[in-house]
Amino acid sequence: MSNIAGKAYAMNVITPIPWWKAIWQHAAFKFVVRFPSNLKGLINLSLIHYARWTIIGRNSFPHLAPSQPKEDLHYSYMMFESNFNGSWDQYIDSFSFAIPEGLDLFWRFNIGYPKSIPLHGFYNYIRFNQIETDHFYNAYPCASSNDVKSATHLYDNLKDFTETSLELSDEDFEQAYNALLLDNQQYLGCMEAGPSLSLKEY
Amino acid sequence: MANTSGNAYGLTALCPIINGHTNDSNPLYKAAGESHDKEVRRILQALPLNQESPFANTDNTYLARLFILNDVFFQQGNDFKRDQLKSKYLCFNSNFHGELEPYLTSLWNNNENQVREIWQHCVAFESVSNANDFVRYIKSCQLTTTLFFNGSNDQPVAEQLKALYVKQMFSEFVLTQQGKSAAELKQAFKYFLQRVQLNDVKSPSWKPGQTEVAL
Amino acid sequence: MSYIDGISMKESKSLDLYDIQGNVCKGYGRYGFPKARYCFLSFQHTHSAREFLALLIEKITTAETWPVSESSDHHRIKPNSTLNLGFTYSGLKKLGLPERSLKGFPVDFTMGMKARSEILGDTGISAPEHWDDIWQQDNVHAWVAINARDQDAIEFEFNALGDLVTQHPDGVRIMSGIKGPNNTILPYQDASAVFENGLPTAKEHFGFTDGIGNPYFEGCGNSMSRLPGRGKLMRDGSWQPLATGEFVLGHVDEAQEYPPAPEPKLLSRNGTYMVYRKLHENVDTFNGYIDNLAKDFDGSRDLLMAKMSGRWPDNGAPLTLAATDEEKETLDAKMASIELRVSEGDKSALIERKELRRQWVDFTFNDDKSGSRCPVGAHIRRTNTRGSLETEHKAFHRPGALVDRRRLMRRGLPYGGIDEAKSDSAEQGIIFMSIGASIERQFEFVQQQWVNYSNDFKLGNDKDPLIGSHDGKLTDKHIIQGCPIKGAKPPFFCTQMPRFVETRGGDYFFIPSISALRMIAEGLIDPS
Repeated sequence: MSNIAGKAYAMNVITPIPWWKAIWQHAAFKFVVRFPSNLKGLINLSLIHYARWTIIGRNSFPHLAPSQPKEDLHYSYMMFESNFNGSWDQYIDSFSFAIPEGLDLFWRFNIGYPKSIPLHGFYNYIRFNQIETDHFYNAYPCASSNDVKSATHLYDNLKDFTETSLELSDEDFEQAYNALLLDNQQYLGCMEAGPSLSLKEY
Repeated sequence: MANTSGNAYGLTALCPIINGHTNDSNPLYKAAGESHDKEVRRILQALPLNQESPFANTDNTYLARLFILNDVFFQQGNDFKRDQLKSKYLCFNSNFHGELEPYLTSLWNNNENQVREIWQHCVAFESVSNANDFVRYIKSCQLTTTLFFNGSNDQPVAEQLKALYVKQMFSEFVLTQQGKSAAELKQAFKYFLQRVQLNDVKSPSWKPGQTEVAL
Repeated sequence: MSYIDGISMKESKSLDLYDIQGNVCKGYGRYGFPKARYCFLSFQHTHSAREFLALLIEKITTAETWPVSESSDHHRIKPNSTLNLGFTYSGLKKLGLPERSLKGFPVDFTMGMKARSEILGDTGISAPEHWDDIWQQDNVHAWVAINARDQDAIEFEFNALGDLVTQHPDGVRIMSGIKGPNNTILPYQDASAVFENGLPTAKEHFGFTDGIGNPYFEGCGNSMSRLPGRGKLMRDGSWQPLATGEFVLGHVDEAQEYPPAPEPKLLSRNGTYMVYRKLHENVDTFNGYIDNLAKDFDGSRDLLMAKMSGRWPDNGAPLTLAATDEEKETLDAKMASIELRVSEGDKSALIERKELRRQWVDFTFNDDKSGSRCPVGAHIRRTNTRGSLETEHKAFHRPGALVDRRRLMRRGLPYGGIDEAKSDSAEQGIIFMSIGASIERQFEFVQQQWVNYSNDFKLGNDKDPLIGSHDGKLTDKHIIQGCPIKGAKPPFFCTQMPRFVETRGGDYFFIPSISALRMIAEGLIDPS
């Protein structure tokens, strides 16, 4: 198993939620989508490639054939699947420090959710309900979500620059090039393999 | 409530795994096999990684994972009821660019043997014999995403990889040019463009799943 | 006697400063103790080691506030020297702590610093196999620190310690194996502030002014006047003390809980952890690199150095206050005129000076998002991000939400540079010590994520220009961001950065409370 592929960590958390509260949780997510300012903290943290919350109704686990026994559950379930940069502790820490209210909104109606502060209740809740990944694939192990975003900006800007500057005189080119560097100086970090996230050796 | 965020698609599928032993049909040889879920787990854990992963051969996979949901676990208490799943589920979670059907078709077409090997232990998978069947099968196991947070972008993977390649190359290029004369700089930049081929998305570029920054 | 601090402080929390070791709350260097000697003990027989410990406890300096004399100059009545003590995990084992108590220590501490080298970037020339001999064995059990006003007092206290050790030949010995000046191998590590004109300075051997922005926590016993810039940044721009539990176990921390700690409470409460690192400074390499690069750099050599550290080398003024040579001249002139008026007895100048000096510490990077003043990757902006990681207003719970639990209480002093000329091969550097309630969450995080990596700064894998584990590769670089407004200056790149600072040894120590020390010495620790 490995929850790690390069700079990304795969987290799966599945938690029970009473079926009627699942409706409220749906509403909470609708609220988030309707007022995206609720996602400001998550965007600013900038540690996630893609993350998804999926509510599975207690009667909606896939049933494919009569030979498969039908599930008979008391609760609905919420599945959280995140692809983030950093180690487990760093991610949970950062989330809990920076957006405690946001986390509480996302898990608010789940059974046993302790709130994100104090931290160790939240730590234990996530750890306990986490499921290990058996195979994890990442298209760009050397790139964080920040690297991908800055690469995309830089690539676009470089294409634009190339279209307008190659015919310039040497001196004008130099000036345009310097302006390009200035405009893109925040995208010029170099990539390498990321810091070690695995605790396997520790 | 959507499986998409712009052109990014989030797939979550829970595929029930057959209960019991792989040799249930032949009790004499039972000792030779394993339960279906263990077989699946063994196969998943043995899948080659990174550039060799079947997802590296599947067009437009950003990040994908496979795991097994054995049961639901949660802390108990006097106020809580106990739940137990009657099947174990193979969870297939993928974030990719584009639409579901072509994505799943690509997964099947480029990795048919691995797909069959992985999913053979799932309920009703014996009815799957081609890409269309596979698409239909996964759709029957699909769950609708409630909230999709896209913290990256929704470009095709080839574009993202090219951008990363260009970023790395350009970040190095600028370091070599500091203090050069205007004429030298322009010359070097032209050479740089020749090398990186900005408008050729395919090549040179990073390969999907590449673990080193150098080509 | 009166307690000036005690009167001026309006803090809700009071700590039992008599129970906390003095180095936790006081940076002795700042209190007029510019000299230090660190030595390492190895315990042999538990019983005899405990007897030794029982006697040593008498000498330990606590965090109690030093009284102010009633004479006209209100000087503080201080001891001639201080002594503090910490244990490694193997040391605690050797002292016979019960298994249950030992198991309660966190993994970072139980593994020790050597085993965490990958996390810390202690690789290549900084890898543990290159450390001083003393660290090649696994029997460093305790750290003893003596701080003093002068070398004589150091020698006196060290001899006294030696006598105590000699009385317990079966229990304890002072370990040798520390590289000293002129190829000596010594049983101690001396450290000293860098002196200029006979006076101690806050300089280190590269010439930077160091140790300015230490955190302020609730109950630390320091004057509230030191709070701005050192506590946690609030939404309205004010500063509040950090929670005690960030630095001392047994107290509530910033996550509003008691930090995880071993049992029983009497063992951990008022104790903490300390990271000890001997960081060698390659002064030739550094000076050569700066000299060479300064030729291409549009600005003075000092400005270039400042753009790497975030502070001006000569007086530690932050770049937020003066970001160009011209601004620095103006600042210096302003300071000089204030100093002149102070010397002439102008009382209002005293206030002005205090106000100006406050800005050495009390600042944010809010008006400098692009890094055109203080580069985004500069040393001080990495190791204490202040509110800068909240790039969008009100995105986080608090502007400094991502730094308040990553603060390092820096202790320590430079070493070397006294008995031999400074060079790459000579012995000089910094004894880095950092105190906190979680080594992993605080020191290791800062070292791994902020010093040797840049994702939080959106700069890929770039590293800290001063202490990053560089290897001289083209991409071992630091970006000095240009200024979009002033003449549209493009960014300047420091490339092929060599390893200026190498790790030469160190470990993780538990700094117990006085109560815990006594119980350890008497074998009374009982987690039942």
